[in-house]
Amino acid sequence: MSVDRIDSPRRPLLVAALTAAALIAAPFVLPWLGAAPNTVNRILVWGLFGIGFDILFGYTGLLSFGQSALYGTGGFVAAYFLTRAGFPHVITALLIGMVAAAVVGYLVGLVALRRTGIYFAMITVAIAEVFYFVEFNPLAEWTGGENGLPGVPTPSLHLGFTTLHFTTGWALYPFLAFCYFVGIVIALRIVRSPVGVVLRGIRENPLRTAAVGHNVHGYKLAAFVIAAAYAGLAGGLLGVLQAFMPPEAFTFETSGQLVIQTAIGGRGMLFGPLAGAALWLFLQDFLQGPLGLGATWKLVLGLVFVVLVCFLRDGIIGGIRNVYRLVVSRTGKKATADAVPAETTTRPRVASSLPAAAHAANGFTGPIMQTISLTKHYGGVAANDAIDFSVNAGEVRGIIGPNGAGKTTFFKMLTCGVPPTAGTILFKGRDITGMGVTEVCQLGLTKSYQVNQLFHRLTVRENVTIAALAALRGPFRLDLMRRPADIPGLDDRVAHTLELVGLAGRGEAPVAQLAYGEKRRLEIGLALASSPSLLLLDEPLAGMTPTERADTVRLLKSIAQERTMIVIDHDMDSLFELAERITVLQEGRVLADGPPAEIKANAKVQEAYLGGLNGAPA
Amino acid sequence: MRDQTSALQRDSRRQFIRNSVLLAGGLALPGLPRRAAAEDRPPIGTYPAGIQGNTVTIGVAVPRTGTYAEQGEDELKGWQLAVEHINSGHPLIREISPKTKKGVLGKELKVVVADSAAKPNDAVQAQQRFITEDKVILMTGSTSSAVAVAMNKLAQREKVLYVTGISGSNDTTGKDCVRYGFRQNFYGETAANAIGPVLLKAYGKNKKMAFMTPDYTYGHTVTKSTSDYLKEHGGWTMVTNQVSPLGATDYSSYLTNVANSGAEVLLNVNWGRDAVLSTQQAKQFGVIPKMKLVIPYQIPFLAKNIGADLAEGVYAATDFWWTLEDKYPLAKMFVEAFRKKYGYYPEWGAENAYASFAMWADAVEHAGTFYPPDVIKSYEAGRKLNSMVGEVYFRKEDHQLVRPVVIVRGKAPKQMRNKEDFWEVTEVVPGAPLMQKPDEFGCKLGDYT
Amino acid sequence: MITWPNFVSQLFNGLALGALLALIASGLTIIYGTLGVLNLAHGAMFMLGGYAGFAAYEASGSFVVAVLAGTLVLLVVGIVMERVIVRHFYARPHEDQLLVTFGLAIVFVEAVRWLFSSDSKTITPPGALAGITPLGFMLYPTYRLAVVGIVAVALLVLFLVLYRTRLGMIVRAGIEDAVMVDCLGINVDRVFMLVFGIGAMAAGFAGIVNAPIVSLTPEVGEAILVQTFVVVVIGGVGSFPGAVLGGLIAGEIISLTSMVNPGYAYVMLFAAMTLVLVMRPRGLLGAIGRE
Repeated sequence: MSVDRIDSPRRPLLVAALTAAALIAAPFVLPWLGAAPNTVNRILVWGLFGIGFDILFGYTGLLSFGQSALYGTGGFVAAYFLTRAGFPHVITALLIGMVAAAVVGYLVGLVALRRTGIYFAMITVAIAEVFYFVEFNPLAEWTGGENGLPGVPTPSLHLGFTTLHFTTGWALYPFLAFCYFVGIVIALRIVRSPVGVVLRGIRENPLRTAAVGHNVHGYKLAAFVIAAAYAGLAGGLLGVLQAFMPPEAFTFETSGQLVIQTAIGGRGMLFGPLAGAALWLFLQDFLQGPLGLGATWKLVLGLVFVVLVCFLRDGIIGGIRNVYRLVVSRTGKKATADAVPAETTTRPRVASSLPAAAHAANGFTGPIMQTISLTKHYGGVAANDAIDFSVNAGEVRGIIGPNGAGKTTFFKMLTCGVPPTAGTILFKGRDITGMGVTEVCQLGLTKSYQVNQLFHRLTVRENVTIAALAALRGPFRLDLMRRPADIPGLDDRVAHTLELVGLAGRGEAPVAQLAYGEKRRLEIGLALASSPSLLLLDEPLAGMTPTERADTVRLLKSIAQERTMIVIDHDMDSLFELAERITVLQEGRVLADGPPAEIKANAKVQEAYLGGLNGAPA
Repeated sequence: MRDQTSALQRDSRRQFIRNSVLLAGGLALPGLPRRAAAEDRPPIGTYPAGIQGNTVTIGVAVPRTGTYAEQGEDELKGWQLAVEHINSGHPLIREISPKTKKGVLGKELKVVVADSAAKPNDAVQAQQRFITEDKVILMTGSTSSAVAVAMNKLAQREKVLYVTGISGSNDTTGKDCVRYGFRQNFYGETAANAIGPVLLKAYGKNKKMAFMTPDYTYGHTVTKSTSDYLKEHGGWTMVTNQVSPLGATDYSSYLTNVANSGAEVLLNVNWGRDAVLSTQQAKQFGVIPKMKLVIPYQIPFLAKNIGADLAEGVYAATDFWWTLEDKYPLAKMFVEAFRKKYGYYPEWGAENAYASFAMWADAVEHAGTFYPPDVIKSYEAGRKLNSMVGEVYFRKEDHQLVRPVVIVRGKAPKQMRNKEDFWEVTEVVPGAPLMQKPDEFGCKLGDYT
Repeated sequence: MITWPNFVSQLFNGLALGALLALIASGLTIIYGTLGVLNLAHGAMFMLGGYAGFAAYEASGSFVVAVLAGTLVLLVVGIVMERVIVRHFYARPHEDQLLVTFGLAIVFVEAVRWLFSSDSKTITPPGALAGITPLGFMLYPTYRLAVVGIVAVALLVLFLVLYRTRLGMIVRAGIEDAVMVDCLGINVDRVFMLVFGIGAMAAGFAGIVNAPIVSLTPEVGEAILVQTFVVVVIGGVGSFPGAVLGGLIAGEIISLTSMVNPGYAYVMLFAAMTLVLVMRPRGLLGAIGRE
């Protein structure tokens, strides 16, 4: 149920209001629980640092061990202005530090984001170490080396009728709490915005996100910069909190602590790092103080961390949320559409018009797709060998061939997923050889995959939304503050697409709960949502029951009315019914090409599939 | 109507309401100091909250883990012995602080301890907690000058007195000095000026020297002071300065460079465990005894860890060595008391710690109050104090104690009278001529309140 | 200073540093190549080997016993760790694997700190190997020389196991395609367990062998971990020859940079790694597609 999701569009004000209430109540409640003001202040700073990191890791899936570099940068720039440079305005200095960190984050991201997964993590580790070293040694003049920058002042706010001095302890708390509150409100907007949706898509399936037309690299970089900005502001606040900017801000330990706190608290929920920091600092104080464990507190913390990672994958907050859902689902009535069982999903309707995209086949005639001598070698193997191929606008072309004929490789090249070794690809007369999947999708050419490429932890509606957003907003737009309701045409497009593929009643179901046939339909739906003028379908019928097959063929026929389609499949009967023309591939080459009846009777094709009359293997 | 107002307006209204609530709430928050109790001084820092009742608390942040752990534990013992003696009115304390009877101004001393791991951040965090929770009226602890400098700033901001533990950098009472901070021990400039002439006399002029320096300001200032002196007065040349990070374990690259530098004297400024490892490895690479080893700023337990063989003939500048008991009666008392309680001869970290507390007790007794500005003025009065190394006094311009530097040389194993008789005191150099002019390092003390 | 004798000395020193890194990196690369798990606890395992050996040394007084203890204890630790924890993470995303091994690293370090305290522990090298060997261009501690030899032998043994035994062939096949190995009917579970154990053993052996050179502290594995990553990346993930080559290159980068400015030595290493990651992500001897 996405009703209780923090980024659900249904409860925008409630979360913010609850946060404000909790922050206001804290200084009155927490002392009774034995919390020291400085500890609470530290928790807020870590929490703020973590909001940005959560957007990067929890929402976009980029595990960076190098956030300390940005934290330290922001902190030291702010501290430098306030101490050595004698700049008087604390709040302005903090903002300058934040901007500096964002800029540095941009540059670092350009380097780090060239790789993904574990390599990305390793680059971030290296970057953290380099920054620490540079801060310590060559830049010691500005950063104070291992002394850090002492003497950072606390902020004051002139309000005309009075001046608020935020000094230390509980007196500093309102300032930090306010910063945290603003940070959370902005983050909530960001994760609900279209950018936030795309980031989640990147986390679940970066390949598909790019293939539906989003500039994945751009969005990743944006997430990186956002995380850097949060880190930079938090760093500045650390200096203010301690009256001193420590070089430890730059160490790998700091990055590691952030990662652990986020994992413990729960990722992808924005408040996770705050909870994690609270637990960490509480354990640190409690285990060292009253229990007198001394240095052993870290061992306990490490064990807690390992246990949580193993068993409580969603962290503390996630665990609480899961318990809450369990309770609600048992006591409340489930009258929502989510309970509709699979059999009653609507069968795909005949396509009424999907909002025609800018690149519908309006008026284009002639060969919409052409390849000239297209070749792909993998080492010594020629997967595709000098294929000349042409499809006219409005046609439905089928491609068949025995296993290993190179059909999927051919499709990959057509959508520019893989660069050809030689040859040219022309789309609507334009040379698209060497472009990328994103660009090509925006031009109106997209594919549905042989193996489902869906966004598994998201709902059906969110899946289609991601694809639709690319069609409506182009490959990259930084509309961080926009609400999803404010995008014209989005709801219509999503609703239409769902209707078209017969998933209209399943919008709120997470993909993991769908039956296989439904997933296949969603797969096609994702490709359809961007209203391509040329749609490639790689084995759309694979794994379907006969009824589903018939329905899907009907669906494909209706879709074909408005666009050109090329379909690979092994189901000859369905394909011969659907396609006007068939191309046969064998061993990377075109074997035959013609209308279905001709192909059926073609002796060479029969031999290729059946091994010939004399029993010799093909 | 509500839907028509823009989100922005709604947001800012929220903010305004929140701020007003905060303003109102903030005025009622428990963070503001309460009205003063018995005494008629205005509240400042942890005064007078920290002196309610019969005890006052001192906050100690000392490295108990990490590179300086061994030295930190030793310092802690010195502080704890001092507290014990002050609370009981021990004769040794009364030599240094004659007005002491029992405790300080009749109040018993308590100590709260945290592990700083020689990291400024951890020390500051711990002391902030001590200030808010335990209302400590004195802070101490540093073995790294980075911690001392950070604590100086914290002390000045929080208006709580701070006496350094061990801090060798010139900056602590130089450019980073503060009104609320005081230093008892010797430092880079005085070490260099004391040991310089000794080295020139022992080894002659125009020698080639190599330095091994830990990469932080303690290391850099000591190396600078020492090499400047030797260059200026003896024509020595520095052929290489190998800078290593604090906590480095493998010195092979640095020592290879040193071995090939053609130096005749190796001055090792590394401290704590780094000094032990680098010296041991220097022997393994044949750098010693080919070159003469000098320790410009001595480390407690160094000789014990590297062994008397390696320490033989090595010159070092230090704050205190236990054989001074033969020269100074207070040293004798101290060494005896320490040995009785802990079973070994004290190193200079412990002595430094003990002395700093004793001198603070004296300052407070003379001020007659715990009120920080008065205690500070008591320090600044320049009273002559008795110590384990003779007569000393605080310089009011930079809060540095004017005291002698002790030059020692490592004994040959067969000359050692007992297992801990590592060093022979060759000279006790009076402090005043060794120090820089008060404002030479840019010291600007801050305000009293 | 850049002089001829110093250059030769540092070159040699780099060889000694590199040999050790090569051994540790071999363990890491085999684990990552076969299981796809980046073992962030590898540095901690290096440290554990040292402490296990230290405990044995204290008890027995024999260095040989210490080395055996360090190695065997880590074999057991590796196997147990794989069986009890890591196994359940193969299906989970990479990030979770990183997190759990990261957490285990912390647990190992803190457990050792609790059992042994933070003081540094020293082990003296066996009498025959303690001392100084004149090498013509420099004096070199005999034990460090011996370590080069010991590590070379260990690498040779590892090579023989990987390339001349049936087990090794299965492991190498597993690096190429674990699913296929499973399909061929080989007990992949047991292979994975052994691979993790062998990888851990390499780290533990290196840890105890290295202990007499630099004293033991609980933190000794942290720096080693990051350097080991660099070696694996430079040499190529999953490639044993790559780990050896990468180790030697890393060792030389460290020592030759020290000639000019010792402070920059480790930074140069990270710069080299970032360069490789950006320009040739598969490393010098790695295969494409193993990222």
